[in-house]
Amino acid sequence: MPRETFQQELDTLLSDVLDLGGEVESTLENMVRAMEEREAALAEKELGVDMRYKARGAEIDEECMILQARQAPVARDLRLIYTIQAVTNHLVRSGTLTEHICHALVDTDGCERDVDLEAALIEMARTARRLFHEGLDIFRNRDIDRARDLQAADDKVDLLYSEAMNLIANPSEDGGGAPEWRMRAALVVHYLERIADHGVDIGGRTVFLVTGERIASAMQQYINRDLHEE
Amino acid sequence: MNEDPSRPENPEENRESMESQKKARERNPITRPVRENKGQSPKPSQGDSGVVGMSVKGLNAYYGSFKAVTDVDMEIQANKVTALIGPSGCGKSTYIRCLNRMHEVISGAYAEGKVTLGDQDIYAKDSDPVVIRRRVGMVFQKPNPFSKSIYDNVAWGAKINGFRGNVDELVERSLRQAALWDEVKDRLKESGFGLSGGQQQRLCIARTLAVEPEVILMDEPASALDPVSTQKIEDTMDDLKKSYTVVIVTHNMQQAARISDFTGFFYIENQGDPGRLWEFDETEKMFSNPERKETEDYVTGRFG
Repeated sequence: MPRETFQQELDTLLSDVLDLGGEVESTLENMVRAMEEREAALAEKELGVDMRYKARGAEIDEECMILQARQAPVARDLRLIYTIQAVTNHLVRSGTLTEHICHALVDTDGCERDVDLEAALIEMARTARRLFHEGLDIFRNRDIDRARDLQAADDKVDLLYSEAMNLIANPSEDGGGAPEWRMRAALVVHYLERIADHGVDIGGRTVFLVTGERIASAMQQYINRDLHEE
Repeated sequence: MNEDPSRPENPEENRESMESQKKARERNPITRPVRENKGQSPKPSQGDSGVVGMSVKGLNAYYGSFKAVTDVDMEIQANKVTALIGPSGCGKSTYIRCLNRMHEVISGAYAEGKVTLGDQDIYAKDSDPVVIRRRVGMVFQKPNPFSKSIYDNVAWGAKINGFRGNVDELVERSLRQAALWDEVKDRLKESGFGLSGGQQQRLCIARTLAVEPEVILMDEPASALDPVSTQKIEDTMDDLKKSYTVVIVTHNMQQAARISDFTGFFYIENQGDPGRLWEFDETEKMFSNPERKETEDYVTGRFG
């Protein structure tokens, strides 16, 4: 097949991004477990990953730029490189946010907590992990049918966000845990919402990769479709 | 927690959840707004100028009994650059030569179908090929200046076509439009053969412009030129299309992507078949997200 070298370079680039995705997922996994098991040591293991993810992201970005300069990609090749750059950005950002949460877990280790709020945080963390995993899996398999469902699943996170914020604003009668912990909890809620959103966006980017259409436009067409036709 | 909470059960529910999601996004403006995309790519015939320069319907081209191009429909937009791409031997050059009745000058070659230029059917019985070729000029792959001075190369065609105005002005204007004036203004009386290949090609463009055609056909005008000369010819395109309709055959896909507004991809499905216009759309669309797999394979260089 012509352009064999170029194809190999694209394949390598793609597997680099998926590897990075896998690593960010493992950080996310340790973060969730650290929350579930109140095991700050698990979170502590992840401190410092942010630097590594950023460096990897910069390498991938640079490789994308070099490929664009040397190979003048068009059509699906161009969409792939464009999508890889976007997904890489989502991965690096998610990695940073996950590390922030791990920091918060380490810093507030041993602080007194509000049990209801803690449960809400854990549920939100699991949901964020699931959506992030789903987005990455959609990207890996180019399974754009699932991307549409993923967009809708984002609602769940918004709901949990409101619930958690409500608990932070209105602590239960037997005290809302240590102030330091409550404050960090508010940030954690926000970070988790962002991580879930990055996951959903990765799914959306996949729609563009496969069809050349923006997810927003694809969703609009889906919403406006003639139901009687199906 | 519920393991799979928000997977929509049915489309209605999904529709609702999308709308609430939209509300959620309005509440939470962190997500950047996504630019609305056109739902469907517009048909080329609805380009922004909207004026059809040439209209081709059911065009077939033959060399004797061999059919080289079949069934081409194309609306060529006025004041736009239309690029034709495709593998060798797929009929691009044959097709472009049908647009000014140059195809039939080859012995045994003929075309059938309808090609209209304005109101004129160029293949109608009463249409004069000489007049058509004046209205639809052509620049060839190899520069072919006349064995005359630079000045006369440009002035000649206009003179024999009965040009009555100021010839000096015409020569200067044409050479300027072809981005050659500054390089030749002090040597207009010298032979056209004394110019470099790239200059000769621009001289041929100037010569074509001097007869003030409506459409300019270019058959790989830069394929034999160095990058700088190529760039100069590409640079003239933007100016040219203000006054002319341009159709260009090119093997250089990046050139098509750079200079054209519309791109037609010619393709032969099976060896021995005639060439077809496989896909025709806005250049932006053809190089970012073409409809057909063969087009995508060709523009990404994955042919075969």
